[in-house]
Amino acid sequence: MDTFLQIVANGLMLGGLFAIVAVGLTLIFGIVKVINFAHGEFLMVGMYLTFLLSTGMDVHPYLTAAAVAPALFVLGALTQRLLIQPLMSARDEHVQIFATVGLSTALMNLALLVFGADIANTPAHGVRSQVMLGEVRILTGQLWVFGAAILLVIGLQLFMKKTRTGRAIRATAQNRAAARLMGINDKFIYILTFGLGAACVGLGSSLIAPLYPTSPTIGTYFVLIAFVCVVLGGLGSIPGAFFGALVIGLVDALSGFYIGSDLREAVVFTIFLLILILKPSGLFGTRMNLSHVSP
Amino acid sequence: MTDTTSMTQASGGGLSAQKLGLIAVAVLLAGLIAVPVAVGDEFVYHIFITICLFAALSTAWNIVGGYAGQLSLGHAIFYGIGGYAGVILVNLGISPWFGMFAGAAVAVVAAIVVSWPCFRLHGPFFALATIAFLEVFRVLALHFRELTGGATGLMIQLNIGWEWMVFRERLPALLIAFGMLLVCLAVAWAIRSHRLGFYLVATRERESAAKAAGVGTVKVRLMAVSISAALSAMVGTFHAMYLTFIEPESMFSLQFSIQIAMFALIGGIGTVWGPLLGAVLLVPITEFARGALGSEAIGLHGFVYGVVLMLVVLFLPNGIMGVVHRFTSGSEKTEGEQAAPVAAAPRSAVPHEAGREVMRVEGLQKHFGGLHVTNDVGFTLREGEILGVIGPNGAGKTTVFNMLSGFLKPDEGRVSVLSPSGEWQEPATPADFATLGVGRTFQIVQPFAAMTVEENIMVGAFHRHPHVGDAREAARETAHRMGLGPYLNAEAASLTIGGLKRLEVARVMAMEPRILLLDEVMAGINQTDVRRAVDLMLSIRDTGVSIIAIEHVMQAVMSLSDRVIVINSGQIIAQGDPQEVVRDEHVIEAYLGKEFTHA
Amino acid sequence: MLEVKNVDAGYGSTVILQDISLHVEPGEVVTIVGANGAGKTTLLRTISGLVKPRTGAITFEGKDITKLEAHDTVDRGITLIPEGRQLFPDMTVRDNLLMGAYCRHARDYQDDTLHEVLELFPRLRERLDQHASSLSGGEQQMVAIARGMMARPKILMFDEPSLGLAPIIVSQVFEVIAQVAATGTTVLIVEQNVFHTLKAADRGYVLENGRMVLSDDADALLQNDHVRQAYLGI
Repeated sequence: MDTFLQIVANGLMLGGLFAIVAVGLTLIFGIVKVINFAHGEFLMVGMYLTFLLSTGMDVHPYLTAAAVAPALFVLGALTQRLLIQPLMSARDEHVQIFATVGLSTALMNLALLVFGADIANTPAHGVRSQVMLGEVRILTGQLWVFGAAILLVIGLQLFMKKTRTGRAIRATAQNRAAARLMGINDKFIYILTFGLGAACVGLGSSLIAPLYPTSPTIGTYFVLIAFVCVVLGGLGSIPGAFFGALVIGLVDALSGFYIGSDLREAVVFTIFLLILILKPSGLFGTRMNLSHVSP
Repeated sequence: MTDTTSMTQASGGGLSAQKLGLIAVAVLLAGLIAVPVAVGDEFVYHIFITICLFAALSTAWNIVGGYAGQLSLGHAIFYGIGGYAGVILVNLGISPWFGMFAGAAVAVVAAIVVSWPCFRLHGPFFALATIAFLEVFRVLALHFRELTGGATGLMIQLNIGWEWMVFRERLPALLIAFGMLLVCLAVAWAIRSHRLGFYLVATRERESAAKAAGVGTVKVRLMAVSISAALSAMVGTFHAMYLTFIEPESMFSLQFSIQIAMFALIGGIGTVWGPLLGAVLLVPITEFARGALGSEAIGLHGFVYGVVLMLVVLFLPNGIMGVVHRFTSGSEKTEGEQAAPVAAAPRSAVPHEAGREVMRVEGLQKHFGGLHVTNDVGFTLREGEILGVIGPNGAGKTTVFNMLSGFLKPDEGRVSVLSPSGEWQEPATPADFATLGVGRTFQIVQPFAAMTVEENIMVGAFHRHPHVGDAREAARETAHRMGLGPYLNAEAASLTIGGLKRLEVARVMAMEPRILLLDEVMAGINQTDVRRAVDLMLSIRDTGVSIIAIEHVMQAVMSLSDRVIVINSGQIIAQGDPQEVVRDEHVIEAYLGKEFTHA
Repeated sequence: MLEVKNVDAGYGSTVILQDISLHVEPGEVVTIVGANGAGKTTLLRTISGLVKPRTGAITFEGKDITKLEAHDTVDRGITLIPEGRQLFPDMTVRDNLLMGAYCRHARDYQDDTLHEVLELFPRLRERLDQHASSLSGGEQQMVAIARGMMARPKILMFDEPSLGLAPIIVSQVFEVIAQVAATGTTVLIVEQNVFHTLKAADRGYVLENGRMVLSDDADALLQNDHVRQAYLGI
């Protein structure tokens, strides 16, 4: 029983970690309608920035978020402005896919060039110490990540529902032409949203860096899992991505223990494929305009 | 590299551009053998083998990713299957020349299993699904150690000789890689220039229009992935022999899959020679850089690939072939009024004797959510009759059309069609309807934008003429009849709205339908064209074709229709003789405005 | 107030509008009628900046607005109520209306305007917290009009307000348009329901195949032989 509880706790903590990566991805997809294949590399860039800042200035990695998140915001905004926006009217979707795939490939290999294939360990500053919650052992860093993920989801929801800009973002996503007729500058909204999505993963990267060794290819693993969470939770839904991430975290932990750690990913991706093919609106049936999926 | 410059020079030629292009390709291909033989350097051999290999894989990918427009980023699955099949069989003492066919067979099965459920996914979702499948294959290859050797990989027994595809020298390997490239190119070229290629491109451009033209869209896509997977697997077998060692991480690699797709995109996605060009241009640059800078430059080639990829999508969305094409064909824009006269002789609408019933529509019901969009619609259509359908916007006319052509299933009621052999049948899918001779147009025109006018019409003509030559001839005939003769070689996308409307009708006419469903083909065309269109429809009717036409242009409806049906809020509110129907009180109230009578 | 001069416009290589000129004076109700596909929608989209003219000029209150983006023309006081309502389906009616007041000059008055608009559309008051997609077609059209009014426009343009609505609802919509005009807002309507709209308008233009073929007082157009034949079927 203890083992089971421990595994569930591990799964939930892992889920929180996936969530903080997935939230930005689903935000960008839901609003800009672009699947950002480079999202994992945004995480990777954020983790290297955290590593460099926290080692270079000898500060707690969490503090670097104050610089990393804005830096990622700029990276995301530039991506939208320079790479995606010129392609928004493209007739074929493949150009947008290739654009972010190209960005992903370029960033990953740039990191290889600059940092080499060796891993970089961000100093832990105590976040890898364990705490006992009843019977289960958890790293304090995992708790922080989990808490941050919840706050991020709530904060984003409030922003989207309660502020004028948030409403404008939602309006643009639901009907771009009508939004323009309301006086909304859709291009600005897209740049803002892409920036926000990247800033979310920037925040995440500062929290994740002390827990995971940073390497140029770390993004690939996380982005694929994040895609799974996003599809599971209903594309474009922020709370959906959070709960999707928790489910995937649990599946990962449980299948790792009961089926075999080398088959965890197969289980996760099989679930992903089943959802994608059988219920593309996601597990929680969020109402979403799935213009990409035929009826 | 010299070969590529000759390619562009050659294609600047103009008149016999196509011939020069073929010569350029031949020179390019010859160069792939000649250069390494002339230089004789091991490393140069290696580069050219790599070029052939990537060009072959990319060409195979292009059949799915380009022609069919299904953006697979998991093509390493098939390559990996080929590789493992080859190595496993070699280690059992079976020659890779057999092994590659075994691998191809397994790959075809895998391709069908992987793609069939994914066809309903579009664009990025199809790409994501293929990535997920690739991950599953990689994880399984790591897991089943007895078969694959797991993470430690598999080494082949070093039996040297042609029989085992393993050589001390590089030349034989180059010859095999080159041969595989030729096979892939030949297959890709053959598909593109036959019906399958037309069908694939049509399905990619407008799936519903392709269905209406009688294309089995799922079938042609499955054929495309099967062929592509088989070719990729065979190349994979060879590459495994060339590498002599394989492991899951490199055989089922996402990066590798992306590279395969990338060469096609850079060279020109959907073109026969694009993938070859992309590989020829990029592989040497990055391989030389890797050779020159060594381990210092780890990541350099990937970085270059990524940057080039972004630049290409931003500035050369049609790849290098797009540039080549721009030079050769110049700008073939159609300008001015596209109003070549239709060939039909002007005639007046004489009262027409309609023949036997050919279509029966009974009690159609359809709900969308809470909306009752079709309520008990029923009527019959006779041979050689024109039935006009009118009604306000949003009355549900197009919904009825969708049920008459298999695009929507009615909640209740049925549609039966008299087959040529005289039996009543109840077709269910667009393909069934097309087979029975029901052709339809779409209210919002659905041209295959990447095809010429002639090719657009050919997609319809293939329905009766499976051979390209016959279909082309039939398409030309139809084009002339529809007044599209002068625009045969124009891109469909360059036509005016009137031209597109006629193209829409021409594509259906080329199917030689027995029942023609026309959805607002006269909307937005000018008065003279309306008169021509009316004449054309009458002449079509006189050949025994039955027509159901949704129209708003009352003038056309009145002079055209033998009978008129008025639909409002999903119900038939009046039907009968055109003159009587427009005087019907319900019709005036619903369509023309209640106070109209008092005006 | 609004002047369109010799405008050509279209999409891609397709030309839809040719040499279009028209003017609208303050307080007028002007209509542009024409068949499906004549270019009416494109004309309104061009005025509002969603489509850029190839040639010609558009001025509003004496200032050139030819090259302005859609979101800028809204700030100048030009609001388009698009064809087919185009609401934000997954937002509440309230949020839809508030989006109408997004533009700079309407923002600060948003609560007052909401109050005024709800006076005009009392039915919407009960629907404020429902999702726009759950409303009937007629109610959606009312939300679309109310949303347009939230921008406190100087000129309100209607694109096919009767589209897909039952005849009885169409009459209601035109009553509402008359009320809007009575508040002093200038109105430009594009319609294929020729009869209704000419009844409601002061002046009218007839658009055929992308060209203006007629322009006259609305009553005169109702009596015009060409109009009666081509659009009223008499």
